[in-house]
Amino acid sequence: MTVILEARKVHKTYYARGVETPALRGIDLSVGEGEFTVLAGPSGSGKTTLLNLFGALDAPSSGEVFLDGARLADLTPAQLSELRLRKLGFVFQSYNLIPVFTARENVEFVMELQAISRAERRERADALLRSVDVFELANKRPLEMSGGQQQRIAVARAIASHPRIVLADEPTANLDSETAGRLLDLMLRLNEQEGVTFLFSTHDPLVIDRARRRIGLADGKVIRDERLG
Amino acid sequence: MLGVNMAWRNVWRNPRRSGVVISAVAVGVAGALLAMSVTYGMGLQMVETAISTDLGHIQIHASGYDANPELQVRMLDGGQRALSVVSDAPGVRAFARRVRGEGLVTSARASAGVKVIGVEPEREREVSIVADSITAGRYLDGTERRVLIGERLARRLQVDLGDKLVVSVTDLAGDLTGLGVRVGGLFHTPSSVVDGNVVFLLLADSRSLLGLGDAISEIVVIGEEATGVDALRDQLQERLSALEVTNWKQAEPLLDYLIGFFDQIGYYLYGAVFVAMLFGIANVLLMAIHERIREIGVLMAIGMSRGRLATAIVGESLIVTGVGLVIGYAVAIAVVLAFRDGIDLSRVSAGLEAFGVGQRIVPVLRTDDFLIPTLVATATAAAASAWPVYRATRLRPAEAVRHT
Repeated sequence: MTVILEARKVHKTYYARGVETPALRGIDLSVGEGEFTVLAGPSGSGKTTLLNLFGALDAPSSGEVFLDGARLADLTPAQLSELRLRKLGFVFQSYNLIPVFTARENVEFVMELQAISRAERRERADALLRSVDVFELANKRPLEMSGGQQQRIAVARAIASHPRIVLADEPTANLDSETAGRLLDLMLRLNEQEGVTFLFSTHDPLVIDRARRRIGLADGKVIRDERLG
Repeated sequence: MLGVNMAWRNVWRNPRRSGVVISAVAVGVAGALLAMSVTYGMGLQMVETAISTDLGHIQIHASGYDANPELQVRMLDGGQRALSVVSDAPGVRAFARRVRGEGLVTSARASAGVKVIGVEPEREREVSIVADSITAGRYLDGTERRVLIGERLARRLQVDLGDKLVVSVTDLAGDLTGLGVRVGGLFHTPSSVVDGNVVFLLLADSRSLLGLGDAISEIVVIGEEATGVDALRDQLQERLSALEVTNWKQAEPLLDYLIGFFDQIGYYLYGAVFVAMLFGIANVLLMAIHERIREIGVLMAIGMSRGRLATAIVGESLIVTGVGLVIGYAVAIAVVLAFRDGIDLSRVSAGLEAFGVGQRIVPVLRTDDFLIPTLVATATAAAASAWPVYRATRLRPAEAVRHT
């Protein structure tokens, strides 16, 4: 299996008002193509920090992070932006859609950043909205939608750029269990049918139960790594 | 395209706040434009008054007149050589010969120092508005020893139509001499200087009074096009190399300077408007960015580069400024059109006439009046975005997406 994400001896320490707070303490981990993996653990275990490092949103205090073979520390801010644009998709806990855009425009925007033609953008955005069952909301803005609907659109946005991997930070935290279940079904389908790699950070048992690989974190360390089925 | 859409919609996320800045830009620009249009209209009127009452577009004198405008510096042939050139020159609409001297005019009750200008009535009518500015009596009709004076001079001398005056001058020979005349007409022009200090009489009377024989002092020329005056002057000067040919700017450099000075005042006005605008826009953008930190983090996370982010913020600034400019331009144009017949300044006209400005000023907008603020506003909008752009692009995506 091709390795997409890799962390080698990664440490991350936050400094605030002279206080050191270690968030990650020597993480060694790799994620392969096509995996459907969760980073599970209690609050403060380092899940989101690790996800941010894999997503090139933050840099480790020490150690190395590789994405699709590229050592992130070697890349300029512009190259990191390009990397996020071409190879990563993000799904956030609070959906974080662009409020001034409609659902369709939110999905299209990533493709516009990729300089994809307008016609192709439109066609693909509509197909994605259909695939996540919210096509009827194409012309609505986020404030006119429920949380579950927004998160579906966020998933559509995350995969619109044909990323190598989607990083999802507590994607079900603000959803009821039925909506969360449907969203997970959707992501599993995308994983199985389209081969999209997913890496979640979560402490939601619903997500953990459906994952094929469960990585347990506690106090900034990997304490468990289980592959199922 | 979606980037432009995003910038446009972001501007209207807080319509009241954007509206305040847009209104400030619009009011500032409209105010500056209107001030420019009025000052330019005033300047234009000053020039037109000076040209139409005294200077003409071009003046031709004997060599040395500009440095020493005395009787002795005259065209001995009565300007015949110059007249033949001027009358054949393309681009000349009208011309007239004049004699110009200085003297004292005395009535039974008062006296005043005046310019004594001898004219050929029919030709003068084509180069000057005095004939069209008669308020009492008649324009010069060839009757000897009849003069035209302004209403203002008449009041000073306490005379009316038909009253007798004595015009006293020092003639070419240096002798003090005088001519008894009667007031044949009164005029009122936008220039209080002409109205209060000039006596117009027949060319023949003035030659006789000043002892000039057939000589004249000057030929005044009006061109077909005001914009072609410089070229016409050059052309005439080339063909009349023994004479001095000057345009109105050379004849009255102060007037030319004033026009430039009015423009400078306008630029300072724009400077003040746009400096105020700069802080207003920067403030709005900073507030907007502060409210959108998480959104900016998301944009960075999904792959928006710092350059694109900067472009989006500058875009918002340009939109706010652009909308303000368009509204400001529209207001200014509407006001100028509403006052196309002139702004009535009769209450202060006495003061303005000293500068050759009449009771109504017609505001005039030029292309440059729009070009310069557009360029400056664009630069200002970009400058106003600098700090907000810096703040936004320095945000760390991991922290920004968690911002609450």
